Amino acid sequence: MAPTSEGLQPADFAVTAERAVAACSGLGLREQASHLAGDGLLGVVAHEDVGGLDLPLAFAVPVVAAATSGLLGFPLLETILLGQLLRQPVPRLAAAIVRGEVLATIAWQGSVIAEREADTVLLNGWVARAPCATEVDHVLVRIGADRAALISIEADGVVVEEGAGLDLTVLEHGMRLESVAIPEERILRDGAWARLCSDANVLRAAAILGSAGACLSLAQEHASTRRQFGRALSYNQAIRHALARQKLGLEGMRHAITRSLGELAGALERDAAFLAAAACGTSISEGALQIHGGMGFTWDVPVHRHIRRIRSLQAQGDASGLIAALGRRYVAEIAPAAEAAAAQ
Amino acid sequence: MTVIETEPPEAVTADSLSGEAYRVAMRRWLRANLPAGFRSDSAAFVAPTLQQSIAWEAAMHRTGLAGITWPQAYGGHGRTLREHLIANQEIGALAMPESVNSIGKELAGPIILAVGTEEQKRRFLPAILEMRDIWCQGFSEPEAGSDLASLRTRATRSGDNWRINGQKIWTSGAYRSQRCLVLARTGPLEDRHRGLAMFAVRLDAEGVRVRTIKSIDGRESFCEVFFDDVEVPQSDAVGAPNEGWAAAIRVLEIERATNRMYRAWRFENELRHLISACKTDPVLAQLVADSRYAARIGEVVVDIEVLKAHVETVVDALVSGDRIGARGSLAKLHWSEAHQRFAALALELLAQASMPLLPAVKVARRRFEAIYLQARAETIYAGTTEIQLGIIADRILQLSRGK
Repeated sequence: MAPTSEGLQPADFAVTAERAVAACSGLGLREQASHLAGDGLLGVVAHEDVGGLDLPLAFAVPVVAAATSGLLGFPLLETILLGQLLRQPVPRLAAAIVRGEVLATIAWQGSVIAEREADTVLLNGWVARAPCATEVDHVLVRIGADRAALISIEADGVVVEEGAGLDLTVLEHGMRLESVAIPEERILRDGAWARLCSDANVLRAAAILGSAGACLSLAQEHASTRRQFGRALSYNQAIRHALARQKLGLEGMRHAITRSLGELAGALERDAAFLAAAACGTSISEGALQIHGGMGFTWDVPVHRHIRRIRSLQAQGDASGLIAALGRRYVAEIAPAAEAAAAQ
Repeated sequence: MTVIETEPPEAVTADSLSGEAYRVAMRRWLRANLPAGFRSDSAAFVAPTLQQSIAWEAAMHRTGLAGITWPQAYGGHGRTLREHLIANQEIGALAMPESVNSIGKELAGPIILAVGTEEQKRRFLPAILEMRDIWCQGFSEPEAGSDLASLRTRATRSGDNWRINGQKIWTSGAYRSQRCLVLARTGPLEDRHRGLAMFAVRLDAEGVRVRTIKSIDGRESFCEVFFDDVEVPQSDAVGAPNEGWAAAIRVLEIERATNRMYRAWRFENELRHLISACKTDPVLAQLVADSRYAARIGEVVVDIEVLKAHVETVVDALVSGDRIGARGSLAKLHWSEAHQRFAALALELLAQASMPLLPAVKVARRRFEAIYLQARAETIYAGTTEIQLGIIADRILQLSRGK
């Protein structure tokens, strides 16, 4: 019988995840998948029918945070979400993803147009920000505003561009789809994309938390051990206060993630968790680089890898578009003052 | 005393309701009984007089909205901290005036509950809740603002009593208070944190002089309090002698983390008020829908959600039996700076209103100009931003200060 959330705490998964991520170092993508699946991490939120643990999303938070903290070069967030999402339309494929036998990712940017032709559907368009797309078997792409389709990377008409973007740990790819034929069952129902993005925003926040936490630890360590003018850097008030601000940001995003997973939480809380993480994660990682001084600008200090990761996650979730949308949504829900007074 | 006629809270008793049922009852009672003139988002707003505030707050207590977690034996309602949070969420949702006795209810009361004698609990606590005694906090001094270890106000033994000499400053509301929670030095100055004691000093005692200070918002709430050979009975010494510092730190932890727990929800009330006022003006309505301002409003929303998350984390920690400790500084630092950012945005938006001002915009201008000025103090009181950053660096990050 698969474990349930009863008696388990999300934090219990943190240590397992840290170990698994460390063990993935130097392995190829398929070996990593096998390793992570062996520890049950790919199916942490997937249903038992497809071999998952069927735990709440909160259990994926420490797993994803550990992955970015350890700079895991694997599309873990996407794999965890697809194992859950694909259960209904393609259960055997979902099971294979959870077992680490099939690799899949998600193109977070762009969308395609779907046209029905006989028994198949033809997809045309351009998508991007698909982590590890050249190495996976399947990619989920958005159709229009709120539907999605799973395509095989080997399908005719799929052209994957060379990896690009800031993130060197998990390369992102653009893809052109030219009359790519897929069977009807590979199209996910209406609303699937919105629900996917909502879960993804919480996990992105968790991923940023992992990277930002690693950056703060590195900065703290450097400030405590690096000596200048006969004293540790941490003796200087400017450095102490900068690190304290980073800690404030880190704890704010941690609490916002916890809140976004509460019983009463909805889209607002989830979006807020991601947006808080996007803003604070950027300033924490960039601040950590600054505290390292010239050393921070060298390739060897891993802070730049975390900055790259955080910036990519921020773009994958379209933080700037989302914050304006959040503001507009909030404004739209409030009646003009006269009406508000009359309604009371 | 002005009598506030209030409707009964529909069979609310300390035992009969809990959780969400308690929330619904409190919400109904507040909305039915809060005078329109007390609401700063109303055109009818007129700052309540002291007597009106006292009457209103006493009515809130009778209903179950003050002393929520305090034991019933001391006049409290014996409810849970989660219900305290619920009450604060409902209080914050309305633009009601700040309590004139928040120091009594949120600082003096909790510290007396923690370290006071049984006699003090029975004497002081019901009087706070019933608004018979308003309290102020005598910690800061001209030579010691946030640096309490440099306090110079001295308490010396005088027979069975104590004699206090010195001066306090930034003592909010001292002119209207009956008692002051005074931190005074009982040992030499070199002892710094050691040799400090806490006293509940009557402000009508001989030798006490209060002088108000006009602040940038035109109000005279801050005070200087002078103690000239003020005799304080031993029965008014709060906590053990020489343990005043520990008690003070505990007070400040409470102040930073749990007092005015409604802040996030009041902040939300302010944002909703701002937007609802802007939407009555064609120019402002267009601005708040504009992408640039929508994004900035989105940032305020995120700030509010993060503040709620800080508050709920503190409540969870306390419910689990943890002490708040230095973590109170995280919430304090966040809300004080976030509120300043929001107040500046509100002013910027309202400055672009159509002329002549529409009534709803006038009300908002009046409220947000006051909020903007008052928010300047928020990064200063209860420990400045710099003090909070120092606490986080020292006690949470444990950064080395040494060579």
